[in-house]
Amino acid sequence: MSVPINDYVSLASVIFFIGVIGVIVRRNPLIMLMSVELMFNAANLLLIAYARLWLHNVGHIFAFIVITVAAAEAAIGLAIVVTTFRPEKYVDVDDIRRLHG
Amino acid sequence: MGDAGVTHHLLGVAGSYPMLLALWLLPLAGAVICWTYGPQLRAIAGWLVSALVGASFVLALLSWHDGTQNVAGAAGANQPLFSWMPGFDFGLLLDPLSLLWTFIITGVGFLIVFYSIGYMQGDRAFARFFAYMSFFVFAMLTLVLSDNFIGLLVGWGLVGLASYFLIGFWFERPSAVAAARKAFVINVVGDVGVMFAIFVIIAHVHSSAFGDTFAAAGTLSAAVILTICVALFIGAAAKSAQVPLHTWLPDAMEGPTPVSALIHAATMVTAGVYLIARCAPLWNASREAQLLVGTVGGVTALLGAILGTAQWDIKRILAYSTMSQIGYMIMGVGVGAYEAGVAQFFTHAFFKAQLFLGAGLVIHALSDEQDIRRMGGLWKKMPFAFWVMLTGVLSISGVPGFSGFFSKDEVIYGALAHGHPWLDAIGIVTAGITAYYMFRLLFVAFLGEYRGEAPVHTGGAGSWIMNVPVAILVVPSVAIGGALLFGGDASPWAHFFAPLFAAQAHLAASQTPAPAISENLTSVIVMMVVAIGFVIAWQRYATATAQRNAVERLRVETEKMPAVLTNLFYFDAAIDAIFVRPSQALGRFFGHVFDPRVLDGAVREIVLTAGWLGTLVRSFQTGLLRAYALILVFGAACFIAYYAIAGAAH
Repeated sequence: MSVPINDYVSLASVIFFIGVIGVIVRRNPLIMLMSVELMFNAANLLLIAYARLWLHNVGHIFAFIVITVAAAEAAIGLAIVVTTFRPEKYVDVDDIRRLHG
Repeated sequence: MGDAGVTHHLLGVAGSYPMLLALWLLPLAGAVICWTYGPQLRAIAGWLVSALVGASFVLALLSWHDGTQNVAGAAGANQPLFSWMPGFDFGLLLDPLSLLWTFIITGVGFLIVFYSIGYMQGDRAFARFFAYMSFFVFAMLTLVLSDNFIGLLVGWGLVGLASYFLIGFWFERPSAVAAARKAFVINVVGDVGVMFAIFVIIAHVHSSAFGDTFAAAGTLSAAVILTICVALFIGAAAKSAQVPLHTWLPDAMEGPTPVSALIHAATMVTAGVYLIARCAPLWNASREAQLLVGTVGGVTALLGAILGTAQWDIKRILAYSTMSQIGYMIMGVGVGAYEAGVAQFFTHAFFKAQLFLGAGLVIHALSDEQDIRRMGGLWKKMPFAFWVMLTGVLSISGVPGFSGFFSKDEVIYGALAHGHPWLDAIGIVTAGITAYYMFRLLFVAFLGEYRGEAPVHTGGAGSWIMNVPVAILVVPSVAIGGALLFGGDASPWAHFFAPLFAAQAHLAASQTPAPAISENLTSVIVMMVVAIGFVIAWQRYATATAQRNAVERLRVETEKMPAVLTNLFYFDAAIDAIFVRPSQALGRFFGHVFDPRVLDGAVREIVLTAGWLGTLVRSFQTGLLRAYALILVFGAACFIAYYAIAGAAH
């Protein structure tokens, strides 16, 4: 009838870890932002899945909030990337270490 | 406290007395004007302040009726002014005691301020001097006119401040600055004493008014009264240069001579006498306090006189004689002979102001020379100054007929009449020493040949300004004692103070047995002792043999002076050893050990720890974005692991 909850959890975990690995190993900030989006959406998927399971719509509301935050985060992240790497030809996050202690 | 239903005891007849208010505030106006417009006023400042203080004196004379009225036991005039808080009102009180002080402050003050116009001529800070003088007169009037202890303390502090200003008037001299500071510090010791007494009074009487306090004196326990009296006496001793708080007075001679005459002889230093006479009902209730004050007064009289014999500075001799004479006054009011102590204040104000102003004439003429060894023979060059000094010396020595004779006799006999034969003996001995050192001053400075190098400038323009006040002062210092004090209980003096002290005199007379020797016999003994002092001084300084090689004799006397006298009985050294050096050591300990090692050390340790922690945490702050991500993931993994394990444990 319906897809069992375990499948959702498995899929979301896989997507989330793809995102985590992407943030940690990739050095291109655009890819890293995309990986962060993956993690957001993994979380969204779980929220919706559990909302359906328990027939409770607070999960939907949270999903919308997450989408909003993700949009804002993407906008700001892209703005940072553009301003930081405008003079460079190649983009690499390991090159910006101005915040080191 | 100030609630309805509680009756307040007033010492005077309450009412509106505009003259009293005006005579109090005129000197303040003079001070404010001189302070504000000093540079513009220049020479006018002296005349202005003289006029205002003179006007105060005239108003004081016109207030005679208000001050001496006596309605149903309330003597004098009471002008309520304002209330600090319920129960603590400030007002002016003009009764015979404060009237007498007001006469001296404004009257002698006027003469001295007028004299200063000549003495301070050409000084850079001419207007500032008169601002201070005027301010002092206001402060002193506040002290004696206040009808409560708090107002008295305000005046008490302000005269100390004025004294500080005027001792340090020539602030370019380091010695003047040191003397001013010393005077101020010792006076503050006294202020604290008075303040403590006021706290005790308020705690027990719930009021600071004189009337309430004296009305409650009978209900207080003996220990409380003794505490109040001793604390008040600490203030009186500091202000009136009583042993052991006297060391500031000789140093205070660093100020200009008119200041010495007004503040450190005639008025401010007698504030202690005023305080004790004002608080007579308290002292009458405590025999121990009377004994303490009388003894300290007697000891001060004797020590001051002995130290006076060893000085060469003309102003310091007068300073020690002031200390000694105030000792007499304190002894008088201390043993309960209030009229006598106050009489001694009254005559002393005239003859000591006269002596100081006479010394000022000499110092002025000799271009600031104050060492009597470098004077001599001045009676030919300055006959006016000689006659002034001679009459002053005769009066202070107690030569019969002069004012000092009557008041000193009253004090000495008063000690005996109130049952203190030892103080009587001290008083008699001191009278002899007084005659010795005062005639010594006169003979060395005025007889023989002139021994100084400085040329003697006499006369000159404006010298009448200095001569006239001195000449006026000669009259009371010679005659006022005989006019007012002659006749014992029937004298105008006794009549004047009858409303204040009569009841207490009867009380004391009923308690003590009649003295073995009569007042006339005491007078004769005093006269003989004075004559002995005079003869010794004559033998040592005035005979033809003594005059012939005076320079050599004075040099030998200087060299042979006993160390105990040149070191002034080691009072300064003792105060230095007991108070000053331990406090300095304490200060050094806190400044050099406690503060840098303990306080600063603790703060420094905290700072170092914070720095060390910062360095540690900084090492995580690589700036590598991916490293942060890794740490985040690691942290999240730890959370998950924790909950997984905790969940498994359930």
